[in-house]
Amino acid sequence: MVSHAQTHRLASGGLIDRSAPLNFRFDGKTFAGFQGDTLASALIANGVKLVGRSFKYHRPRGILTSGSEEPNALVELRTGARREPNTKATTAELYDGLEAASQNRWPSLRHDLMAVNQLFSPIFVAGFYYKTFMWPAKFWEAIYEPAIRRAAGLGRAAGVADPDHYDKAWAHCDVLIAGSGPAGLAAALASGRSGARVILCEEDFALGGRLLADGGTIDGMPAAEWISRTLAELASLPNVRIMNRTTLFGVYDGGTYGAIERVNDHLPSPPEHQVRQRLWRIVAKRSIVAAGAIERPIVFAGNDTPGVMMASAMRTYVERYAVTPAKRIALFINNEDGWRTVETALGAGLQIAAVVDARPDVSAAHRALAAKAGFPVLNGFVSGVDGGKDGVRKISVALVGGARAEVEADGLGVSGGWNPAVGLTSYHRGRPKWQDDISAFVPDSAPPGMVAAGAANGAFGLGACLRQGFAAGVAAAQTAGHGVPPVADDEAFSLTPLWHVAGKGKAFVDYQHDVTASDIELAQREGFESVEHLKRYTTLGMATDQGKTSNVAGLAIMAAVSGKSIPETGTTIYRPPYVPVAIGAFAGHHRDENFHATRLTPSHHWAAEQGAVFVDTGLWKRAQWYPRAGEKDWLESVTREVKAVRGGVGFCDVSTLGKIDVHGPDAGAFLDRVYINTFSSLAVGKARYGLMLREDGMVYDDGTTSRLAEDHYFLTTTTAKAGPVMQHLEFCRQVLFPELDVQLTSVSDQWAQFSIAGPKTRDLLGEIVEPVADLSNEGFPFMGAREVPLRGGIMARLFRISFSGEMAFEISVPARYGDALVRNLMLAGKQFGVTPYGTEALGVMRIEKGHVAGPELNGATTAADLGLGKMMSTKKDFIGRVMAGREALVAPDRQVVVGIKPTDKTRRLRSGAHIIPKAEIPGPDHDQGYVTSVCFSPTLDQWIGLALVERGRERIGEIVHAHDPLRGENYDVELCNPVFYDPDGGRQRG
Amino acid sequence: MAEFSWLPRSPLEHVLVVGAYGARDVAPGISLTEIRNFDLIQIMARRGKGAELANAAKARFGMAAPEVPKAVSASDVTLIWSGPDQFLVLSKGGKHAMDILSQAFSQFASLSDQSHARALISVSGMKACAMLAKLSSLDLHPASFPIGAAAATSIDHTSVNLWRGSDLPDGQAVFNLLVFATFAESLWRTMLDAAAEYGVDIGYSEELG
Amino acid sequence: MRIVCPFCGERELGEFTYLGDAKPVRPSAGGSEHDVFDYLYLRDNVAGAMSEHWYHGGGCRAWLKITRNTLTHEISSVEPAAGVGAAKVGG
Repeated sequence: MVSHAQTHRLASGGLIDRSAPLNFRFDGKTFAGFQGDTLASALIANGVKLVGRSFKYHRPRGILTSGSEEPNALVELRTGARREPNTKATTAELYDGLEAASQNRWPSLRHDLMAVNQLFSPIFVAGFYYKTFMWPAKFWEAIYEPAIRRAAGLGRAAGVADPDHYDKAWAHCDVLIAGSGPAGLAAALASGRSGARVILCEEDFALGGRLLADGGTIDGMPAAEWISRTLAELASLPNVRIMNRTTLFGVYDGGTYGAIERVNDHLPSPPEHQVRQRLWRIVAKRSIVAAGAIERPIVFAGNDTPGVMMASAMRTYVERYAVTPAKRIALFINNEDGWRTVETALGAGLQIAAVVDARPDVSAAHRALAAKAGFPVLNGFVSGVDGGKDGVRKISVALVGGARAEVEADGLGVSGGWNPAVGLTSYHRGRPKWQDDISAFVPDSAPPGMVAAGAANGAFGLGACLRQGFAAGVAAAQTAGHGVPPVADDEAFSLTPLWHVAGKGKAFVDYQHDVTASDIELAQREGFESVEHLKRYTTLGMATDQGKTSNVAGLAIMAAVSGKSIPETGTTIYRPPYVPVAIGAFAGHHRDENFHATRLTPSHHWAAEQGAVFVDTGLWKRAQWYPRAGEKDWLESVTREVKAVRGGVGFCDVSTLGKIDVHGPDAGAFLDRVYINTFSSLAVGKARYGLMLREDGMVYDDGTTSRLAEDHYFLTTTTAKAGPVMQHLEFCRQVLFPELDVQLTSVSDQWAQFSIAGPKTRDLLGEIVEPVADLSNEGFPFMGAREVPLRGGIMARLFRISFSGEMAFEISVPARYGDALVRNLMLAGKQFGVTPYGTEALGVMRIEKGHVAGPELNGATTAADLGLGKMMSTKKDFIGRVMAGREALVAPDRQVVVGIKPTDKTRRLRSGAHIIPKAEIPGPDHDQGYVTSVCFSPTLDQWIGLALVERGRERIGEIVHAHDPLRGENYDVELCNPVFYDPDGGRQRG
Repeated sequence: MAEFSWLPRSPLEHVLVVGAYGARDVAPGISLTEIRNFDLIQIMARRGKGAELANAAKARFGMAAPEVPKAVSASDVTLIWSGPDQFLVLSKGGKHAMDILSQAFSQFASLSDQSHARALISVSGMKACAMLAKLSSLDLHPASFPIGAAAATSIDHTSVNLWRGSDLPDGQAVFNLLVFATFAESLWRTMLDAAAEYGVDIGYSEELG
Repeated sequence: MRIVCPFCGERELGEFTYLGDAKPVRPSAGGSEHDVFDYLYLRDNVAGAMSEHWYHGGGCRAWLKITRNTLTHEISSVEPAAGVGAAKVGG
């Protein structure tokens, strides 16, 4: 494990910490780098040029850029569960022990057998998905798709759960700044000095943007010194927050922005209790996009050869990281900015092989420099690259005038001009406009409150960046007292547009998706001229880099071949995110047991002590049954619980029901309008079952509502509808019936409520309720509701209501006493064999009793369908009244609730089975309904169920098919009265 | 006949573990304190009775009930705005319990006892704002949410009442959170998750801060 | 999206629930099937400013009438529903 020497590291310079050497591994080999390196700069330092293989053709690829626009140098970073595919080597910070692997190659990067794809390249042309592998159809899934997926692609996902944590946070500010280059820092100074709350986001770990590589003189001092002075001033301002390693990726409505902070990506794993990444939602009154510009490649044959690199990236590697991407560099440029790389390279002692400048009018100063350094300036175009996986060897040049030249070089720097980063300004469907002097799209409009400044706004001179940034900062802060703007000279910028050099060999537009110039020409010939069609047909710009280096070149080529101008051709719609954001960051802590908030009943921990099995009911955890030692399955436990209730006494926590206090002089009138039956006539101290409809006439919810005082009702809802009913009632109160004096409050969490049921209920209650309360049938009749004192000093509410069909009460106490109540019920009920029961036994008893619940209240049933049609008052208006009278809702052939029993008493029923007349062949043509609820009834010692059946109530006694094609079952059931147990209700009234 | 005891049990009793939690290599940046066994009554003005209720509140509490999102405190009671025409009365020891307030206000208002419907959690410490930024979408900067500011808002899609109390003697901000009792344990875990990196000091109290 | 609740101030979208068109008015008790059908089902498909019902359920539980541009999400007005703030009626 010997580290390779950093053969391509300059002896001095750079913003790296040479006192902090770091070891790392790439494709199993150990290398060394320094603190402050990216993986890309460290690979370059070690002379590594071949970093990956391309998506479709498996062509050898190197490092093209030095930033988040990188399309080529994607690696799998880390190993095991932390392996992250498609990580850009150009932004991955080096840390000690970093492990990375190249992607999309087999068996190795240097000897990739899949490179054979290049031989088949004619079938991988634009739209190849649609044109090939069409026949025979069944071959697609079996053969073609697996083969393509193996051959083409990017990195591999880890395949196991991410062990790290992520979180989400909100931030608020007056001024949000994207980017810490000269414009961003000047904006931060101006707005920060005014006292405005400022957040500046920088995706890099170092602050300064292009200044870090390109330097310059600001306010008479070197750029590096200006940066450190500026950062010191900003740090002294408590109202300014600088967030590095944070990319602003999206712009949303109302001044809300998305940002991803890579909190601990620069470490092997996050320190204990810390997150890997944090997703920020930033709310800003104003924002300034100072995100800079992206240098664009020129499309020519062989432009993807390792060693071909953006000219500005070369400067970054040399100046910021003190590494040499090549020793003898050729440049292919069409603009003035490219010449800065010449100066940087010569300054670092590197050789310039030649400058191929597409412009005829290279300045005398540049020509003098060339003469002095001894390299030719060629007016022409690079038409080909000789080289391969070991890099560039030679380039071919087509000179203006027709002659050809060849230049030997081990690296080729390319500059086709600069594209302002128009993503953020365009995320509200903004269309950037074309600016001729820089031949680039610049922001035309921006989302409300946003402006662009500096290179992101098409201003490429350093002085202009500072001025624009400062002015934007002043304007955004909307106050006085900002000082004077920083001053620097503006470099001259001239450019001759050049997008594509025609020639033999593959010329790549989109490196990451392997889209070539000829793919675009083909798309145009086939009629896909619209840029949106072009994008989808060729997949141009649809890779993880979102086409940052390719989109403009692609549409420029389309413009040329279709005979339109570039602005006529236009851009596609820009959409967030600006960089890929891990799903884990969007999820934050909402995973595993924290996927959503959980609600616990007041008896939860007691039930857990009893070994209860819990079931998720919406957000709730409810006890489903209480298994006892020796019981072999749930059915045995549930059967025991039901028998214990029917034969003695049991209790169940029903605190999950929604509970609403309805107060006010008009409370009764209000309830009359929301329920189908009448509540204004309910006596104080009485409860009544109520049914609500939606305005369309379908049943919405049901529950028992009690009148506790003249102006106070206590309304209950089903567990599932607690929230929606509260919202509905508030709508009725605030919007529909504002004239009523009524107030609503949720008291769901205030009361612990238990149903106590069974013939020994009174015996149990007699133990716990003070004797002063008369619980006899006369003293507390069926549907009574009132407060009673409990032994030991607290008050409880008792409701004589029954869901089980037994003699039953519901008792409620303030929730903090719920745990004590359940323990006291066990204590008091020991002598009666009191049995706690769960939601399953509750469900069994309600089916035995023919009570409807969720499966029957399915949003498509009317009150009459449920057998409750007679409850509908004809003397008042109520929600849903008119629509419930529609022809189809009162049709005689509707599917209505009916009971079912299998003719074979030993047969198990299953819900979901379809009901088919006995004389018909089972199938959809004869479908007359379906089974909604089933259970094993311990009371009847057989399976029973409820079903919605056409004209069901007229067909009691009829034998029909229960047809269950999903489970392959078909058996006979008898339609029967849905009330299987105690149909005349004597038990619950007794 | 059995003797029954009626010990109240806080919805956080099971999950709250007194002591340190999370990062140990830093001085605790967060204090989480549950306040137990309080009286909390929601008072909602009846139609057209806003002025009468305001007078009655002033007479009863010696201060005006907030009509905008604020919390105001006297020695024995805090009034917290909870929505248009309504506020919460937070107190201890039964002085402003349901039966007493009913007599004072039932002419003009509807009252609903929420004493058992909520858990009350106080968040303080150097990192209180940083931690709450992970839970709350509100801007809790002192300029936007000064002492006495209150909000009816949501954490984890769950309704909460949040208000800023008086600063501690050392100048640290204090945020009070009323959360629904049945959600309390789940939200507590979420809060610990958010606070762990700063180091947490956990406790409970029978006293209102 | 952010909505300025007239009671709570500016809040994020997640605290609100959208209901829909606020223009149709529920027919009074004597309304015909035709009237209720119109109220319930017939909606304009507005491209531009639209009056909508929103519920601040994650905040003060007020129902709000909001004018929102369906093309830009720009909110030009927020008013409480008629029954909110009734304590001041006649006062």
